[in-house]
Amino acid sequence: MTIDDELLIAFADGECSDAERAEVERALADDPALRERLEQHRRVAARMAAHYAPMFEAPVPDRLAALLHKQQTDVIDFAAARENRQQRRRLPGWGQWGAIAASLAVGILVGQLTLSTGGPVESRQGALMARGELAEALDVQLASAPEEASGVRIGVTFRNQSGQFCRSFAMKDLSGIGCRSDDGWRLPVTHATSAAQSGGGYRQAASGDSLVLQAATGMMSGTLLDAATERKVRDNGWR
Amino acid sequence: MATGAFEEEMLALLPRLRRFARSLARSDADADDLSQLSVERALKARDQWQPGTRLDAWMYRIMRNIWIDETRSRTRRAGVFAPEEDGVHVGDDGHEAIERNVAVSEVDRAMAQLPDEQREVIALVLVEGLAYKEASEILDIPMGTLTSRLVRGRQALVQMLEAA
Repeated sequence: MTIDDELLIAFADGECSDAERAEVERALADDPALRERLEQHRRVAARMAAHYAPMFEAPVPDRLAALLHKQQTDVIDFAAARENRQQRRRLPGWGQWGAIAASLAVGILVGQLTLSTGGPVESRQGALMARGELAEALDVQLASAPEEASGVRIGVTFRNQSGQFCRSFAMKDLSGIGCRSDDGWRLPVTHATSAAQSGGGYRQAASGDSLVLQAATGMMSGTLLDAATERKVRDNGWR
Repeated sequence: MATGAFEEEMLALLPRLRRFARSLARSDADADDLSQLSVERALKARDQWQPGTRLDAWMYRIMRNIWIDETRSRTRRAGVFAPEEDGVHVGDDGHEAIERNVAVSEVDRAMAQLPDEQREVIALVLVEGLAYKEASEILDIPMGTLTSRLVRGRQALVQMLEAA
């Protein structure tokens, strides 16, 4: 009995009945040509899977994930958000407490990065600042034109509520947000990502990114900078 | 947070959606545009999604429809698609086309040569690993139509990729 391609492919895909499977297995046992046809289909299937796998494994571009994060904030009750802001204004102490809590958390996370000289972060008068490779990447790299060779990936660029330009970044051990002030790039948000890029898979990388993006959404005033504006602002020294 | 469940599920789906987009579109850049358009459309139409039904199937359908619309309107604009290998002579676009050609792999070229209705079936079954029944529901075609397209597509791929 001859096995046509439809049945052979259904067999390869695990889509045939038990009776059909038994029939194909019998035929395979004494037909080398049929075995070779099956192997061809399997090789092609494996090659297709391998070809498209990188797109599945790569971190999702921030631009795409940001659509969903932005939406998430948009659907939060705007009245509640406004009230929240007013309360914050009424409670002058809130900002300080927040800052202290944040710097404690940050200190634990990035302590080891600052200890090693030449690391991407330093503490200057109590503020975390970018230095070295990270500072340079924040200065010159464009989110719209990623540099393969760089150890730093720039995600999104936006203005915060005090009008400073801020940029999300990710590198091997650290992701976060840098905001440009007169004395350099302050890092109001940092997130340690030790396992993320070094083989931990996209899940961890994406969750690190999503925390940072959530923070970005909260800081943002207006929208993300488009590619042309980003370039213009960079060429103007982030002013 | 209840309002975020839809977004959370969509975020988790993005790697699969990007892979599906990549197998339909010709380049990483086109795939990302397609992914972005699909997410935007899904967010606009989120009321039409019924919680409890499969979001992945819904998203695949949205993406596939955008891809079909885009392919058709491009075909209308350009007359016909220039075959990928012939990119060199396409006037102003020439330089870009040459660069694109260098990056085009055998698998991309083989997929680009499949008729759309075979390519989408191959993408769902062979790349995304969906069951025949799931794929036929997403594409809204009978099982018999799905299997015959799948078989013709697979035969063509074997011919192109196993020839050497």
